[in-house]
Amino acid sequence: MRLPLLVVGLVVVATVSMVVDRRALRGGPRNFPPWAGPIVDAAVPIQKALSYPIDFARQTWARYGDLVGVAEENALLQERIHVLEEENLQLREALVASGRLAQIAEMRADFEVPMLPAQLVGSDLSAFFRSVLVDRGRAQGVRSGMPVISEEGIVGLVTATSERASRATLLLDRQTAIDGTVQRSRTRGIVRGRGTDLVEFEFVARGGEVEVGDVVITSGLDGVYPKGLRVGIVTAVSEPGSKLLRTATLVPAVDFGRLEQVFVILRRGPSMELLYRTEGGDADAQTASAGASGR
Amino acid sequence: MKRELVLAGLSLLVLIAQAAVGRVVAPQWCPDLGLLLVVGFGLSVRSATSGIALAAFVGYLSDLLSGSLLGQHMLLRMVAFAAARVGCRRLNLRGPVPLAIFAAGLSTAHGLALWALVSFFASGSPPPWPPVGDFAAQAAVNGLLAPLVAAGVARVYQALGDEEGTKLMRLEPRKFPA
Repeated sequence: MRLPLLVVGLVVVATVSMVVDRRALRGGPRNFPPWAGPIVDAAVPIQKALSYPIDFARQTWARYGDLVGVAEENALLQERIHVLEEENLQLREALVASGRLAQIAEMRADFEVPMLPAQLVGSDLSAFFRSVLVDRGRAQGVRSGMPVISEEGIVGLVTATSERASRATLLLDRQTAIDGTVQRSRTRGIVRGRGTDLVEFEFVARGGEVEVGDVVITSGLDGVYPKGLRVGIVTAVSEPGSKLLRTATLVPAVDFGRLEQVFVILRRGPSMELLYRTEGGDADAQTASAGASGR
Repeated sequence: MKRELVLAGLSLLVLIAQAAVGRVVAPQWCPDLGLLLVVGFGLSVRSATSGIALAAFVGYLSDLLSGSLLGQHMLLRMVAFAAARVGCRRLNLRGPVPLAIFAAGLSTAHGLALWALVSFFASGSPPPWPPVGDFAAQAAVNGLLAPLVAAGVARVYQALGDEEGTKLMRLEPRKFPA
């Protein structure tokens, strides 16, 4: 009698957890449950300790690899710096001539986004999902719905937080969708994760101009990610055919296999802010982000 | 109870270690140690009550450390435990090869069930079907490691003392009338 009762009880707990978590994912702040938060927090230092030798070995190998051809790369970069310096000078001159330099300098403060560096400590346990655990949580001002980026581009979105850790769902995850734009032709579309190392870019066939090698950036129109962040590079485009939508395959701008350090943007996009504010209860997010921005 | 607590603690450490190692191994080649632990419980843990509670605990931990909804892995791990329990009674899973084949099959079924659950709870269109190659790769890795993990679980379980087994074996002193 004890076993059937336990089984029924556990099945009910699992089902209720799924429904509650689904509701939390759709709107409102999504935190790890109070009893589970400490487990996740406790996992972070252990994972950090385990990650240390792994990261050390990877970095050593990567540095060795980087040394090969460093002289050639240095020469190319020097040349590139000269070109960019020249271009920068010309642009400044043009701005000064138009009398808008001071105005733009004032506007810059408004556009500066507070970012918090975070370290990846663990990956997803299931091959079906693509998420990572980072070592920053609510105590550092991180909240669900905040974008995660690296110096290469978009990484993902914070989807659950505990006091000292957060889970970020990656761009590669099947549940991810981002509004993107082709940088060259300004063709808009939706970037979707496929659960593999590649993502797809879906755009309207009529008028859409996408070619192999095009860079796709965030459009900012989804109200989740800031505009202009690199998403990926087009490697293949489907045949036009008679369909309304066409699909391009992208290699993500971020090398997820070598990702160690990320930045959490401590400001939610307008859509996320609206979504989370509607449900209420997370009004301290802005205060926390404002506080963290000072760090 | 002591054994169950130790197994739960060890499972937590194993899952944390898997998440750390998973950063360098491609997901499809990373073994699902949570599933393999549950198979090990199904084969070694004598009490079904303890076994299902342990399976649910491992599932819940997997949910915490992965991008799934809380409860998805918990439910599936309980089903996996039941399958392992029934499997070890109906089939001969004593050798490494049958166990590897069983674990590989269970891994594939688990992946399909997870996809079904995710699709059921997904808003809008269901997520794309996972690549068959990924399924096959993970099933192969899980199959290869299943005998090792099962042997590890059995060894830990025995090392901590098989209390129930001892109870069953204990002979009550016979009372003779004076």
